[in-house]
Amino acid sequence: MRRHFWFAVALALVAATSGLSARQAPSRSPRNASYTLTATLDPVNRQLYGSGRLRWQNTSHVEATELRFHTYWNAWRDEHSTWMREQRLSGYDPLERRADDDRGSIDVTTLALVTAAGSENLLPQARFVAPDDGNGEDRTVLLVPLPRPVAPGATIDIDLGWNAHVPRTFARAGAIGNYFFIAQWFPKIGVLEDSGWNCHQFHAATEFFADFGLYDVSMTVPTGWVVGATGREQSVADNGNGTATHRYVESDVHDFAWTTSPSFKDLHVRFEEPGFQTVDIRLLLQPEHQSQADRHFAAARAALKYFSTWFGPYPYDHLTIVDPVTIVNARAQGNSSGGMEYPTLITAGTNWSQPWASVDLENVVVHETGHQFWYGVVATNEFENAWMDEGVNSFATARVLAEAFPARFVRVRRYLGGLITWKYQDVRWSRDGVGNGLNSYRLDPSRDVQSTPTWKYWPGAAAFVTTYDKTALWMATLERRLGPATMEKVLATYYARNAFAHPLPATFFAIASEVSGEDLTWFADAVYRSASTFDYSLEQVSDQPAGNGSTDSTVVVRRRADGVFPVDVRVTFDDGSAVTERWDGRDTWRAFHYRRAAHVLTAAVDPDRTLLLDLNYTNNSWTSQSRAAEASRKWSLRWLTWFEHVLMTYAFFT
Amino acid sequence: MPSSPELARPKATVLGALVEGWRRVLAAPGIAAGMLLATLLVALPLSIVVGRSIESHLGDSIESGQLVAGWDAGWAAEFAAQAEGIARTFTYEILGFGGLLSTLSRLLDQKGPSGQTGIVDPALLGAIALYGALWVFLAGGLLDRFARGRAVGASAFFSACGVHFFRFLRLGLVIGFAYWALFRWLHPLLFTSLYDRLTRDLTVEHYALAIRALLYFVFMAALALVNVIADIAKVRIVVEDRRSALSALGAALRFIRRRAGRVIALYLVNVIALLIVGRLWMQVTPSAATPDWLAFLAAQAYLLARIWARLAFMASEVVFFQGELAHAQYTARPLVRWPDSPSVEGIRNLGA
Repeated sequence: MRRHFWFAVALALVAATSGLSARQAPSRSPRNASYTLTATLDPVNRQLYGSGRLRWQNTSHVEATELRFHTYWNAWRDEHSTWMREQRLSGYDPLERRADDDRGSIDVTTLALVTAAGSENLLPQARFVAPDDGNGEDRTVLLVPLPRPVAPGATIDIDLGWNAHVPRTFARAGAIGNYFFIAQWFPKIGVLEDSGWNCHQFHAATEFFADFGLYDVSMTVPTGWVVGATGREQSVADNGNGTATHRYVESDVHDFAWTTSPSFKDLHVRFEEPGFQTVDIRLLLQPEHQSQADRHFAAARAALKYFSTWFGPYPYDHLTIVDPVTIVNARAQGNSSGGMEYPTLITAGTNWSQPWASVDLENVVVHETGHQFWYGVVATNEFENAWMDEGVNSFATARVLAEAFPARFVRVRRYLGGLITWKYQDVRWSRDGVGNGLNSYRLDPSRDVQSTPTWKYWPGAAAFVTTYDKTALWMATLERRLGPATMEKVLATYYARNAFAHPLPATFFAIASEVSGEDLTWFADAVYRSASTFDYSLEQVSDQPAGNGSTDSTVVVRRRADGVFPVDVRVTFDDGSAVTERWDGRDTWRAFHYRRAAHVLTAAVDPDRTLLLDLNYTNNSWTSQSRAAEASRKWSLRWLTWFEHVLMTYAFFT
Repeated sequence: MPSSPELARPKATVLGALVEGWRRVLAAPGIAAGMLLATLLVALPLSIVVGRSIESHLGDSIESGQLVAGWDAGWAAEFAAQAEGIARTFTYEILGFGGLLSTLSRLLDQKGPSGQTGIVDPALLGAIALYGALWVFLAGGLLDRFARGRAVGASAFFSACGVHFFRFLRLGLVIGFAYWALFRWLHPLLFTSLYDRLTRDLTVEHYALAIRALLYFVFMAALALVNVIADIAKVRIVVEDRRSALSALGAALRFIRRRAGRVIALYLVNVIALLIVGRLWMQVTPSAATPDWLAFLAAQAYLLARIWARLAFMASEVVFFQGELAHAQYTARPLVRWPDSPSVEGIRNLGA
C-alpha cells in the first residue's frame, strides 16, 4: 500500500512537471552542484576547450575549507596513474600499442571564486592529491584550498576553464574516427559529507559519484554533426564559421555526457502506455545497424515499463540511446564506448550480425535503461558501493529479460573475427546462469569481501564478478526466500525512499528487513560482509533392514564450503511419502534418520534451489535411480564425434 | 610396376582428375572405412576419459536424469568450471556444427573461446599429434593404392606405408617448418600489424570485417600453397619412388610452377567439395534431443563423407600428376632388378 502511495505521488509530480522546462521544474533533488558549461570540440586535433561556472552549495554540516574536483581524464595521461597501475594488475596494459596522441588528459586553466568584487584566482594553490593510495603521480583529484571557509548551507560560484585532449576510447569515453563520446569531461566537484570530502581517485574497478544539480551545457561542433546529450536540446545555433552550437539542459541529474558524429541516424519514438510516464526515446544509430532500430526501442520500452511497474516511476520524460561505433579490434581502435549509463543518456552497442535469438542487444539496452533508476535517481556511490547500482540493476535486468522476452534467447558465438555468427539452439539463456551471472561467478567467487569499498577490489574480471554477479545472485536468492512480491516491494520501497538521496548499504538492508518482517542481518553477514563461498551436498544415503518389514534410512548432508546458509532437506520414499527438514546449515554435516516401511527414493539439500550462490548444485541431490552412466554415455559419444571432427581438421595439414 | 589392364589412361584436366579421383576412392570402400575406424579408435580412449569425468561429476545426482533428456546448460557450465585436463574441452561447443567453426576459428585466430592462446587446446595435443602421425604413415599406402588404381591387398598397402613413412617424415620436417613460419611470422604480420593499421580509424564494422576476410584469404592461400606443395611432393615420392624428400620438394615446385593454374584449380575444387560436405552437415546436424544412436550414425556418416572428400583430394592429385607427366607404367627410376644384394655380387665376382 505504501509503495503504491509513493508511486502515485511520484507519478503525479512527474506528470505535473512534464510540461515544464528543466529549469522551471520544481526541484526533486538537492541541486547543490549545478553547472553552466560551454564546450568547443576540435575534432581534427581531438581537443576540447571548456569553460563555465559551477554553483555549489555546502549541504553538509561542516565548513568547507577546500574544494576537491575529479579530473578523470588524467587517468589516461600516462602509465603512472592509479587507473593504469590497477589495469596492469589485472593483466591488461591499456597503453600497449597506444600512440601518445591516443592518450587523454585534462588541464584546468581557470579556477576562480566568483565574488561581489570580481573573482579570486584559486588555481595557484591548487594541487593534485591521492587520498586513496598516496600515488603522487596520479592527477585525478584536484584539491583547491579556499580563501575563506564555506559555511554549511552557503553557496559559492566557481568559474572553470580547461583544455582536454580527447583520447582514443578508454573506459567508454573517447573518439574513433569522427565518432566522439564525451563523458567525465569537465572538472567535476566531489561530494562533501560530514566526514569530509568523498572524492576518490579514478580506479580501474569503479565508476563515479557526484551530487545532483542543473546542467546547462552548450556544445560547439562542426555544422551538420548530430549531437546527443543528457537532457533535452533547447536550441541549435549556426555560428556561420562551419560550426554550430547545441544547447542542452537537464535538472536533477548528477552528470552530463554527450556524443557527436556526422554519421548518426537520428530516430525517435514515444513510449506511451496507460498509467506510465510518457517518454520520448531518441536513438542515435550507426547507419549499418538500421535494421536493428526496432529492437533498441522494444528493449527500452520493456525496461521502462517493467522497472516503472515494479520499482517506481521514471522521473524524466526523455531518454537518448546511443549506438556507438562497433569495436572489432580493440587493440587498434580502442575500447568500446558501449554499455554505459549517464543521466537520461545511455550507450548500447551491437554488431552487424545480431541474431534475433541473441540476448546481447536487449541485455545492454535494458541494463543501461535500468541504470536510470538506480544510478540515475537513487545515485549510490559507485566508488565505494558499486554493487548497489550494478548488482541491483543486474538482478533487475535479468528479471526484465525473462519477463519481456520469454524463451527467446540462446547462446550465440561469433567466430572468425566476427565474420560468422552461430546460434547454439540447445543452449538456452537462463535468468540465473547467464542473467544473474552464476556461470561467471563460479570462476572467481571469493576474491573480495563485497562490503570492502569497491575501489579496493582486485581489478578486472574479478571486480565485475563481485560487483555484478554476486549481488545479482544473492538478490535472486533473497527473492526466492522472500517471494517475488515481497522482493519487489523491498526494491520499490528502497527506490521511493531514496530517490536523489545517495543511500548507503545499511539503508538497503534495513529496508529489506523492514519490508520482509524478518531481521536479515544474518543474510547480509553471510553474503555481503564475507567472501565465503557456499556448497552444500548430499553426502550419502543408506538403508538398513530394521526388522518387521521396516527400514532404517540415514541421509547425510554436508557443508563443504565456509559459507553458512539455512537450507531445506527433502527426502522422498518409494511408498510415495516425503519429508522436508529444515537445517540451519551451520555444522559441517548433519544426519537425518528415518524408520519406515520404505526405502529412500531421492534426497536433496536445497531442493528448490533457493541458495543460488551454491557453487556446485549437482552434488546437492541423490537418487536411487541414477542415470549417470546413461548420461555419460550419451554425452561422451557426442564429444567423440566432435573430437573426430577436430582430428580430421588438423590432419588436413599432414 | 605391373600395369592394370582395366585402368584407363588418366585425363589431365582438372574435372577429369576430380572425377577419376572420386571413382578410385569409391572403388576402395575398405580404405575409407578403415580411415573412419582409425579416427574412431584414436578418439575413443579420450572420449572414455571424458565420459568418466562426466559420470564422476554426476554421481548419484538427480541432475543425471535431466542430462539424459537433453543439454543442461546449467549443469554444463558447472562442469566446465570444475573440469580438468581433457574434460575441459566438454563445453556447449561440442554441439553440432558450431564445433567445426570453433575449431577453424581457433586454428586461424590462434585463440580459444575463452581467450586461451595457441591453435589447439594443449589437452588435445597428444591425440592430434598421434592422429597426424597416423595419416603420415598411411599416406604412402593411400597414394600408392590410388596411383595403381586397383586393389593391392593389405600386405602391399602397409608395405607401401612403411616404405614411404620415413620419407614423409623427412618431408614433414620441412613442411612443418613452413607451417610454423606462417603462423609465427605471417600470421602476426597480417592479423596484428596490418590489421591494426587498416582498422585503427574505422567506424564501420563491416569494413573491418571485409578487411579481416581478405586477410583470412591471404593467410589461407599461404597455408594452401604449402599444403599443395606438400601434397604434390608426396605424390612424386610415391609415384616416382623418390628417396629424397628435398628432391621431391624441388620436383613438386617445378611441377606446380609449370601448370600453376590447373593445380590451383584442382586444389580449389577439392576444397569446394569439402565445403559442400560441411554445408550439408550444417543442414542435418542432430540436435541435443536427437536419439543417441541416430545422432551417432549421422555424425559418422558425415565423417565418412569428409574422409571420402579428403581421400578424393589425394587421389585427384595423383590422377592429375599421372595424367600430366606419366601413366600407370611410368616411374622415374629404372625397374629394380632382383636380386641386388652384395652377396650375389660377390658370388658373381667369384665366378668372374
